[in-house]
Amino acid sequence: MIVDSAPAFDVRDYLRLEMMPHFLCPGCGHGIALRALLWAIHELGIDKDKLAVVSGIGCAGRLSAYIDANTFHVTHGRPLAYATGLALARPDLHVVVITGDGDCLAIGGNHLIHACRRNLKLTCLMLNNEVYGMTGGQVSPTTSESRLTTTTPLGNSEPNFDACALAAAAGASFVGREVTHHVPKLKELIRAGLEHPGFAFVEVLSDCTEIFGRKNELGSSAEMVLRQKSELRPSAYRDTVDTPFRSNDLPTGILTKTERPEYGMAYRKAAAAQRANTAARASAGVNERKA
Amino acid sequence: MSRPTASTSSIEGEPLRPTASAAKAREPMNVLIVGVGGQGVIMVSKALASLAQSKGYQVKQSEVHGMAKRGGTVFSHVRFGPQVWSPTIPKGEADILVALEWAEGLRWLPFLKAETGIFICDTKRIVPPFACLNRRPGAPLRYSRETPAEVRAHVAEGYAIDATRMAEELGNERAANVVLIGALSTALEFSAADWEQALAQFVPKKTIAVNLDAFRLGRNWIEEERTAVDDAEAPLAHIPAPAAAPYNVRLEITPAWCKSCDICVKLCPERCLRLNQERIVELAQPEKCTGCRLCELLCPDFAIRVHLDAVAKEVAAMPGAKA
Repeated sequence: MIVDSAPAFDVRDYLRLEMMPHFLCPGCGHGIALRALLWAIHELGIDKDKLAVVSGIGCAGRLSAYIDANTFHVTHGRPLAYATGLALARPDLHVVVITGDGDCLAIGGNHLIHACRRNLKLTCLMLNNEVYGMTGGQVSPTTSESRLTTTTPLGNSEPNFDACALAAAAGASFVGREVTHHVPKLKELIRAGLEHPGFAFVEVLSDCTEIFGRKNELGSSAEMVLRQKSELRPSAYRDTVDTPFRSNDLPTGILTKTERPEYGMAYRKAAAAQRANTAARASAGVNERKA
Repeated sequence: MSRPTASTSSIEGEPLRPTASAAKAREPMNVLIVGVGGQGVIMVSKALASLAQSKGYQVKQSEVHGMAKRGGTVFSHVRFGPQVWSPTIPKGEADILVALEWAEGLRWLPFLKAETGIFICDTKRIVPPFACLNRRPGAPLRYSRETPAEVRAHVAEGYAIDATRMAEELGNERAANVVLIGALSTALEFSAADWEQALAQFVPKKTIAVNLDAFRLGRNWIEEERTAVDDAEAPLAHIPAPAAAPYNVRLEITPAWCKSCDICVKLCPERCLRLNQERIVELAQPEKCTGCRLCELLCPDFAIRVHLDAVAKEVAAMPGAKA
């Protein structure tokens, strides 16, 4: 039984109802991830005026359009760059970045590693569906080996990215991963990320049913959601031949959580010191001239 | 295997097998201890067995453990006497049945001697999963409904102790089994000092004091209960109320948002949803819906909202709504 804060939470309070129904395909996991994000925001009691959602291009990037808050739909791969500026200028805002696997790791890969390195207070929600869905199903950096996409008709031959390992290696102070099947756990993870005083990277394993699932014959959307669960089995099941989709012993939950100085705070401190220094020098100059 | 032959020859010393007349004195004492995994059934039987052994009796003990850990049914047979042949107690042969949980006590009642058996039972109720198969909130549990008075009418000597509450008041709920040892000790011939010595060996060192208190509490309780003239009803242990008050489930479906992806229909644990002719989700069997919210949580299109409406008070008070 899930009888907690859920009854009080109505996702429609946080949606732009005039935009609904959203444009995502039937069974797309991004809708579930969006609900988890809004649920976490509701639980934390974040005011909609104090929430800024920045998103890039792609199916995931489109999600910001449905959130009834301050939203930016920006250029491909650059939501983290925009969000960095926003978070530095407006530290009072909760800045959330919604990005896809291609947006975040391919086009915006450079922005990701530098955002991780800086440790600015941001929450980056990467919705990983292993494919460029919006543009017709091209191979993405997270597509598993041997998977079929429109650009890999004989199966993907490249190894894929472990986005969480990448973010942790680049210095993100909070890294977590969850699947869309476990909505309450996903909500808890996003909530922990929102509460984290630093850069929080959350990878959500989402399902692309219409393009990736259909091409790879992964079954109906319900079957894809259920498969997420079966693929979270321990490593004993790792060698199952026909499931190259994801490694079976996929770690989920909070993977990395470290204490590091937050960039915005350090930057403002340095700026204030600089200003004080300049003011002191200016006033000293005035005094000298007077004397 | 041949059974040991009866011998009454005095030259051979003690008869190998008791004759009918001597049988009474030579029969082993049968104590059956039952409970739920994690309550300390094995610890009780170990303490009793070691005490009996230290007094020079032959002791045989047989138990189930391992798989029954943490919530399964656990039993332990302890037999001691001048000569014990088998480690298990036959049905209807237990002199004393000590139960650490109410329903487990009832389950093992047929093992008790009909005329002389002593039944000592904690009124603690641990509801097993299969007693709540109906997952609808407020649904009646299929847990035993017998009251202590009804049970006592069926046994020669019965005690229903709220040992868990007594142990809780002492500060450690886990000492409930020792309260029952205290109660058991009055039915056996060993002295209280011997019991306390045996107990001190088997409980963690830090908890010896609370366990000895629990032992004395159980012992005194039984003695008071014996002297009490009136058949005062032992109150049944408090059962934690269901986490949520009874409520009705109502599904609010936004048909314009549903994209017929089928996730809710396939993943509903009660299978109570379906797609209608227009491939829009609908609640096909409202009576089966428990309001678990899985459909609401997993709907990518926000088309379902589960409302849990509080049930009107007079309905909630009806029998069956709450067990």
